Amino acid sequence: MDSIIRSAMLDFYPSTEHLPGLDQTDLDGFLKRFKKEAPPLMWAGVVAGALAYETSPILTIGKPARASKLSAEDRDRHADLIGSTNIYHVRQLIFVLKMMAGMAWGQAPEVRRALGLEPYPEDPGTWRTQ
Amino acid sequence: MTHQSFMEGRTPYEIEVDYAVVGSGAGGSAAAIELARGGAKVAIIEAGPWRDPKDYPYSAYGGLRDTMDDWGSLVTMGRAFWPVIQAKLVGGTTVVNSAIAVRTPGDVFRRWESRYGLRHDPKMEEAVWAAQDRIERELFVSKASDAALGGSNRLALLGDARANMGGDRMDRYVRDCAGTGQCLQGCRANRKQSTNMNYIPEVIRLGGFVLSCAPAEKIVVKRGLAQAVVGRFVHPVTQKKGAPYRVSVKKEVFLAASVTKTPLLLRASGIKPRALGSRFMAHPGTGIFGFYEDIVDTNIGATQGWASVKHRLSHGIKLETLSIPLELAASRFSGGGRNLMERLREYRHCAMWIQACWAEAQGSIGVGPGGKPAVRYTVTRGDLERFRIGMRLVAEMHFAAGAKSIYTGIHGFPWQIGPDEIHLLDEAPLDPRAYIAVMSHLFGGAVMGDEPKHSVCDGKGRVHQVPNIVVADAAVMPSNIGVNPQHTIMGLATYFAQEALARA
Repeated sequence: MDSIIRSAMLDFYPSTEHLPGLDQTDLDGFLKRFKKEAPPLMWAGVVAGALAYETSPILTIGKPARASKLSAEDRDRHADLIGSTNIYHVRQLIFVLKMMAGMAWGQAPEVRRALGLEPYPEDPGTWRTQ
Repeated sequence: MTHQSFMEGRTPYEIEVDYAVVGSGAGGSAAAIELARGGAKVAIIEAGPWRDPKDYPYSAYGGLRDTMDDWGSLVTMGRAFWPVIQAKLVGGTTVVNSAIAVRTPGDVFRRWESRYGLRHDPKMEEAVWAAQDRIERELFVSKASDAALGGSNRLALLGDARANMGGDRMDRYVRDCAGTGQCLQGCRANRKQSTNMNYIPEVIRLGGFVLSCAPAEKIVVKRGLAQAVVGRFVHPVTQKKGAPYRVSVKKEVFLAASVTKTPLLLRASGIKPRALGSRFMAHPGTGIFGFYEDIVDTNIGATQGWASVKHRLSHGIKLETLSIPLELAASRFSGGGRNLMERLREYRHCAMWIQACWAEAQGSIGVGPGGKPAVRYTVTRGDLERFRIGMRLVAEMHFAAGAKSIYTGIHGFPWQIGPDEIHLLDEAPLDPRAYIAVMSHLFGGAVMGDEPKHSVCDGKGRVHQVPNIVVADAAVMPSNIGVNPQHTIMGLATYFAQEALARA
C-alpha cells in the first residue's frame, strides 16, 4: 500500500526544470511520520485517495490500467485530470491524498528554498506538562 | 498544583470547586475569568494540551497535528463534504484563529426574538456590549499597522478603495502585530491575545485550576442538578487513556466544549431535550486567488487584516483577506503533475481573499461512529446564490487591485479567468459539490429560547432540564450572526457568568 501512496503522491508533484518535486524531498520520512501520527480516519482517507488514483486512469485518459503501470507521460496527464473528475466522491478522495502530498511538498526545505521562502524549523510538538 | 496535565495511573484526580467550566476557548475562558474575578473557585477542563508560543508548530502539518481536533478531519455530511474547523488545546480556537473582534450587531438580538423565539432582553444586549468594551481594552483590540499588513492586505485596501467595497483594516485581539503570518498555527511572536496567554493564567492566579488533556465524558446529574464533571486524562500524542478525574461542583457547570461537542456531552449526561443538536448553522466560505505581476507574499503579514461587512445585510456576505501557506496552496491549486508545478511557480504572486456567507441553511449535530460528532448540513440554493454574489465581489476587488487573473476553484471553471470573463461567476453552479468551502464559524445545537419544546437553554444559558448547567459557547446562539462570532461568544459567556454570580 505504501508504494501505491508514494507513487501517487510523486505523480502530483514531479520535479520540473523550475521546481524540485516530491522525489527530491524526504517523502519516505514524511509518510513514516504521517502513518505513525495521524488518526486512523486520516490515514484511511489517504489510502482511499491513493487507491482511487491508482484505479481510475479509465476515467481520465481512457486507459483501463493501473496508474503506476502507465508511461510517465500518461501518469502526468492522469494526475492533472483526476482532480477535476465529475465524480464527486472520487474528487474528494483525491483531494485528501493531494492535500497530504501538498503538505509534504510545501514544507520541504528544498522546495521552500527554490521558491525563495524561508524553510520551516522543526515543529516542536511539545506542550506544558506541569 | 493548579494546572494538571496528562496523568497516568488509576488513582482518580479529584477536586471540588464552585464552578467547573468545560472548554477553554472564547466562551469557556470568558466565563471562567468572570467567575474567578467574582471570587468563585473555578476549574477549567480542557480536552487538549496546553501549548505556549514556544510549542506552536510552524507548518500546516504541525498545525493539524498539534492544534486541531482530530486533525481537522470532521466534515459535514450532506450533499457536499465541507471541513468543520475546531481546535483542541488550551485556549481553544482563539489560539489558531485570526483574532478577529467584531462587536455583536444590534440586529442580531432582534432577529433572535423575531425569528427564533427568544424574548428580547435589553439587559443581555447591554451586558454583552459592556463586556466587549472591557475585553477590547484587556486584549488590546487594534488594527494592523502598515508594517504588519503584508502584501495581501495592502492590495485588499487598494482594491477596496477602487471598487468601493466599504471595508477597513480588521479589529483584532493583537498587541502590536508582528505580521509574521502565523496566526493560524498560533502566534509564536506572542502578540495575539489568545486566551491561553491571559485569562486562563489569571484564573490560576486567582486560585483556580486548569485540567488539560482532560476530555470530559459526562456531567453527573442527580435530582435534576449537576454534581460533577467526570472523565479521563488522554495523552495528546499516543491517545492512551490515563487517570480518571472528577471535578465536583458546589454551584454550576459551564459548558463551552464547542458547537459540535457541547450537544454530545449533554446527550452523554442523559440530557436529551427534543431540540438538542438542532438548528446548527454556519458561515461557509470560499476563497478566490488573485494573481499579480509583482510578488505579494501572502504568507507574510496579518493573516486576516482586512474585511468588509458592507454587504452583510443586503446580500448576506462578508469579505475578508486570508493568507494561505504554500503547503495548503499546493493542494488548493487545481490539477496535478507538470501543470500543477507550473501553477505553483506563481505562489508568491497570489493573494487569496474570501467571501463568507451568512447562510440560511440549518443542519443538525448527532452522534457518529466512535461517539464522534456527526454534522448533517447542506447549504440552500439561496445560500449558493449568495456565494455567486460574494465571489463576484471578491473577483471585482482583485481586478480593481490590479490582478492579471483570478482562480476561483469552482469545479468546471478554467484554471484562471481574466477580467473579461468575470461574468462567468454570475452563472456559477448552484451545487455545493462544485465548491471547495470551509465551515469556520459554527452556531447552534443547544440553542437558547423561551419555549423548552424548541430550545435547550433559557435566555441566561441555563439548560431547561438541569438549571445549574449553563451553555456558554456558540452552541447556545439561536442563529448565525453574519460576523465573526468570537466577540459575541465572549460577551454572552461573560453575561451568563455575571448572572450565575448574581444567583449564588
